[in-house]
Amino acid sequence: MAARPRPSSDEAREALRDAMARLAAGDQAALEEIYRATRVKLFGICLRILGDRKEAEDALQDVYVNLWQRADRYDPTRASPIAWLAAFARNRAIDRLRTGKVRGGAVPVEEAAPLPDESPLADMLLVDAEQTAQIHKCLGALDARTQGHIRAAFFEGYTYAQLAEAADVPLGTMKSWIRRGLQRLRACLEASEAA
Amino acid sequence: MSAPEDTGPDVTRDDPMIAAEWALGLLEGEELLAARGKYATDPAFAWRKEWWDDWFAPLSDAIPGAEPGDHVWDGIAARVSAAQAVAGTPAGEPVAGSNVVALEARVRLWQRVAGLSSIAAAALLAWVALTPSQSPVAPQPAQIAAVAPMVATVPIGETGLRLDVTYIPESERMVVAAIGLTPDGVHDHELWLVPADGTPLQSLGVVKPGEVRSMTLPAAAVAKLGDGASLVLTREPIGGKPKGKDAGPVVAKGAFSRV
Repeated sequence: MAARPRPSSDEAREALRDAMARLAAGDQAALEEIYRATRVKLFGICLRILGDRKEAEDALQDVYVNLWQRADRYDPTRASPIAWLAAFARNRAIDRLRTGKVRGGAVPVEEAAPLPDESPLADMLLVDAEQTAQIHKCLGALDARTQGHIRAAFFEGYTYAQLAEAADVPLGTMKSWIRRGLQRLRACLEASEAA
Repeated sequence: MSAPEDTGPDVTRDDPMIAAEWALGLLEGEELLAARGKYATDPAFAWRKEWWDDWFAPLSDAIPGAEPGDHVWDGIAARVSAAQAVAGTPAGEPVAGSNVVALEARVRLWQRVAGLSSIAAAALLAWVALTPSQSPVAPQPAQIAAVAPMVATVPIGETGLRLDVTYIPESERMVVAAIGLTPDGVHDHELWLVPADGTPLQSLGVVKPGEVRSMTLPAAAVAKLGDGASLVLTREPIGGKPKGKDAGPVVAKGAFSRV
């Protein structure tokens, strides 16, 4: 893939949004553009969740093939394209983790391939800064233990059972902790939306 | 001093909570399948799931990027072309532009109606294949696109409660989610298949309130489970309709749609 001049963050975001719209309209060339711009971030997410390079590459293929099939599901008014794609990729990786025989878990640092110098549009890949600050603030308002479990679920793809085992507490206890945490998180996020 | 999450009543596990659990990736097995089925048929649930996805998305900025192998893009391009060739044109003919458009429109319709991606279908099939006593034959990716799931929603009166039924043709398995229901201790509810051809109702068994259950369908039911088939739910004594008696009153109904 040819190196291109790196556009500014706003330009990159608009270019991605535009490519998503063209893909939804049936322009297949847009898929390669989207791949070029987002593969590093989305592969990082798949690798983190699946913990296995081969599995993560298979998951990444599924992500883009699925994207081609359902690009019209992306609603530009709802989320930035990269946020939507990040959630899409993580959901696909979790699907694979839950239905396959992948061991999952975090990736040792040495397994992650080094990034090329012109890492694709790296500055674009950050989700909206305000939204980022808010989720961190609301997570930070939870007690440290609950916050840790919710983060472990997000970043490691752990199930309730795995979290309970790691914390050495009964499954029901872990479910209660996390559900109360999610309820408080929702209230905090909704309050920020209303503000 | 205990942490806040240690105290207070247990949180009600309603649909918005299940959407949160799903977005975080905590759901497994039949609950995961049921959530997918609900996503396809329940706009409020789908909205809440995406709400959580949007909020959680910035967390992924903390995950370092990584470069996939060059073969990944080749694989994507090959699968996209293959999907077009298989579904869009007769064998041996070049892929014409109009066929590509028609295929893409069809794929999108499929997705929009269902909200169930082929991944979801694949996941269900994979899960079915991994379940003991099921066919040991793992699904082949090529078959997946051909198998469109059928979903039915059975709203229970004005209660806001509902059954979500998902069936993947050829799997002979059906997943019935009755998460919002609670047993009243004196009744059971029995699910019936109403064939489109006017033949008699076939029992699909008693629904377990509050549970997501996967069932193997009898061959006779599979044969009738086509377009236009619908479902009714009747109120029965505990254990289901007694032999030799008429079924109880119909409390809810819904239709299957192929997606």
